[in-house]
Amino acid sequence: MAAKKLSKEKVGEVLQELSKFRLITPVKSDDVVIFREIADPQEAFLDYGNSTVPPKKVVFPQTETLFRFTLGNPELREKNVEEEGTTVIFGLRPCDARAMSIVDKLFSWDFEDPYYLKRRELTTLVGMACVQPPSINCFCTSLGGSPFGKEGLDVLLVDMGDHYLFQSLTEKGGRLEEMLSSYLEEAPAGEEEKASSMEEEAKAKIIRSIDPQGIPEKLPSLWEHPLWKRVSDSCLGCGICTYLCPTCHCFDVQDEVERGEGRRARMWDSCMFCEYTLHASGHNPRPTRKERTRNRISHKYSYYPKRFDVIACVGCGRCINLCPVNIDILEILEQVVEA
Amino acid sequence: MTEATQTDFQPNIVAFLCNWCSYAGADLAGTSRTQYPSNVRVIRVMCSGRVNPMFVVNALQEGADGVLVSGCHPGDCHYMQGNYYARRRFKLMRNFLEYLGIEPERFRMSWVSASEGAKWKEVIEEVVEGVKAVGPMNKFKRRQLNW
Amino acid sequence: MVDRNKLRETAKEIISREDVRELIGYRAGTYGFRARPAFVYDPGEVDQLIFTPACVNNLATYITLEEKLPVPRGQEPDLRKVAVMVKGCDSRALIQQMAENAYDRDRILVIGIPCTGVVDMDKVQARFPDVLGPGEIAQEGDKFVLIYDGRREEVPREELLADKCRRCRYPTPLVYDVLLDEEVAPFASDDYSDVEALEARSQDEKWAYWEEKFSRCIRCYSCRNVCPMCYCNDCILDRLRPQWIRRSVDISENTVFHVARAYHLAGRCIQCGECQRVCPVEIPLMELNRKLYKDVEELYDFEPGVKVDAPPLLSSYRPDDPEDFIL
Repeated sequence: MAAKKLSKEKVGEVLQELSKFRLITPVKSDDVVIFREIADPQEAFLDYGNSTVPPKKVVFPQTETLFRFTLGNPELREKNVEEEGTTVIFGLRPCDARAMSIVDKLFSWDFEDPYYLKRRELTTLVGMACVQPPSINCFCTSLGGSPFGKEGLDVLLVDMGDHYLFQSLTEKGGRLEEMLSSYLEEAPAGEEEKASSMEEEAKAKIIRSIDPQGIPEKLPSLWEHPLWKRVSDSCLGCGICTYLCPTCHCFDVQDEVERGEGRRARMWDSCMFCEYTLHASGHNPRPTRKERTRNRISHKYSYYPKRFDVIACVGCGRCINLCPVNIDILEILEQVVEA
Repeated sequence: MTEATQTDFQPNIVAFLCNWCSYAGADLAGTSRTQYPSNVRVIRVMCSGRVNPMFVVNALQEGADGVLVSGCHPGDCHYMQGNYYARRRFKLMRNFLEYLGIEPERFRMSWVSASEGAKWKEVIEEVVEGVKAVGPMNKFKRRQLNW
Repeated sequence: MVDRNKLRETAKEIISREDVRELIGYRAGTYGFRARPAFVYDPGEVDQLIFTPACVNNLATYITLEEKLPVPRGQEPDLRKVAVMVKGCDSRALIQQMAENAYDRDRILVIGIPCTGVVDMDKVQARFPDVLGPGEIAQEGDKFVLIYDGRREEVPREELLADKCRRCRYPTPLVYDVLLDEEVAPFASDDYSDVEALEARSQDEKWAYWEEKFSRCIRCYSCRNVCPMCYCNDCILDRLRPQWIRRSVDISENTVFHVARAYHLAGRCIQCGECQRVCPVEIPLMELNRKLYKDVEELYDFEPGVKVDAPPLLSSYRPDDPEDFIL
């Protein structure tokens, strides 16, 4: 569909219109940018780099109920995700949307996860292109992404200065465009070409890179390589890299019971935690951070691509920016290539 | 029974009483047919020093509106120093909870000896009045938020 | 200023010793002006070691973080020393760990570094967001000098100094086997004004403040893992039997997480500030820990991490401890 123009002055009204759905935008909580449901369009903070916690949290909540139950009663009351209603995530970055497409493959593979997939179905993604790479550690272009990437998005907005170029990319995007048609105007001539050249400029600003060619095949051969101990010595075994990663998707399932009422809940887990593979016997096949680091890199760059033909990393750089001890996935991959 | 507040709110108060002094003192209040508010649920422990400060936090989280820990007077602890340790722990915990915005009326501590049935009544009345004034505990209560 | 050659020579000597297994220091980071921990096992590896105002990590945490796996039958455990570089604040962690009998003094070799202050890396990155580097930071008088891409920029020290350094009372390590520089006299004092400001607010304001912060918490456990004093094998925050804190993430569990952790650090937290630095969602954890620190100091005249033989705070008492709050 042809691109349209969305004046920045009209964005408030658009958000007001969208707030009849479950509208989620980047917001500022103190100085931290996170994605949260907003009631008031003023809360949206669109002039941002990238959020700390990725919007995967919307379709894959950190904690969600799978079903409820009452003790003594065999009936299970499954959570109805439909109740959450249509959701619009407005203003996410292309890497985060591409990440959702990558994670979709797992959740629709040997078991179709009804919760995740229903949420995906109910969610429309309105992306914001990165005119500037949000951080020095972005490397989306190395992995098949782009600062103006369209993969996974329903609509792409490009900041042209006093207005956004509004491009709907899918059926869902088309329906949104129709809904918002009173706020959209004809795009000025040549805008799409201009956006293309802006994309090239943005790509050129990405400094860090890795050539992933051959890495998935090479990783299993490096099982006993000393590099794993070296890169994991300083690891704290926390969950920052996994929780902030838009493609990480491990979870734990626990029952919570209170005075006869209970629920089974799914919550994020991290393969970097020491109890991730802790068996009930006390044995742990990944007892130290070395094994867990090796596993994490191998999962993202070898096991996942072998099964799903795509590396489970979008180069958003959050893990590099926020690792407390400056463990750097690009440095690890460079060592893998040189090993 | 003191006239507390004009509300129907009946607080749930959990009390950890040491076996040798406070529990016996509360028992004495009972055998003496003393009338006092019935809002307190008693958990008997062997010593106030046995009470983990996290019990207080857990009780508040599970829906108690107030918590009381009561033990022997300093110097009289059946296990010599248990109540001294408790005194330090709970001073810090109370200050800390207050710093987070939890009203200090929600966590109280008392020394009630085995012969102080009358004091027990006064302690309960003061604690219940205090908790009634601050209302039900909601701040970090487990509320099945996203169930 | 620590002389880099002296630092590397000392490290080389130490790691060459037969009774030393590894040496933990600092090396340049991978982007911007960052520095990061370095693990040296061989004298040939000492040339990566540095010490600059970018060296913010508390390396004392690695002494207790290291996994101690069961030793296969027939093998002896490797009981050689671990050498670790510590600033003033970090050294207090070692002292407190030893005060709690986490390990014996002869298991570690302490390389003390008198410190004149480190930077707040968030401020550095906000100031120089486009620098890939490698960039280096040095201190010259009352300025930090940032060197990158052949350029040299001077920034007033005040603008980049980490908050914790503005109230540091122990710049010189309190325990060391070798000191790499002249002792630094204390250059700051602590009036707990941040804690007092919060104490003065109403109960509802305080809760609103903490509720916003705890709602952001994603329970990554980074604060717990980085803390040198959090090394329990069976941490209350992880336990399943009993389960004190559920794994689900909501305001109730998050609040109890932080209450439990801060409380378990009462009389043990040595104010290194790492927890706050590592938090990805910027929860002001030091404001929590400092409240307890201030209370412990005022009520019980106790400071952790200063004397190795000091009896732990909550295993001691005085007959005249305050009891104004007791009915």
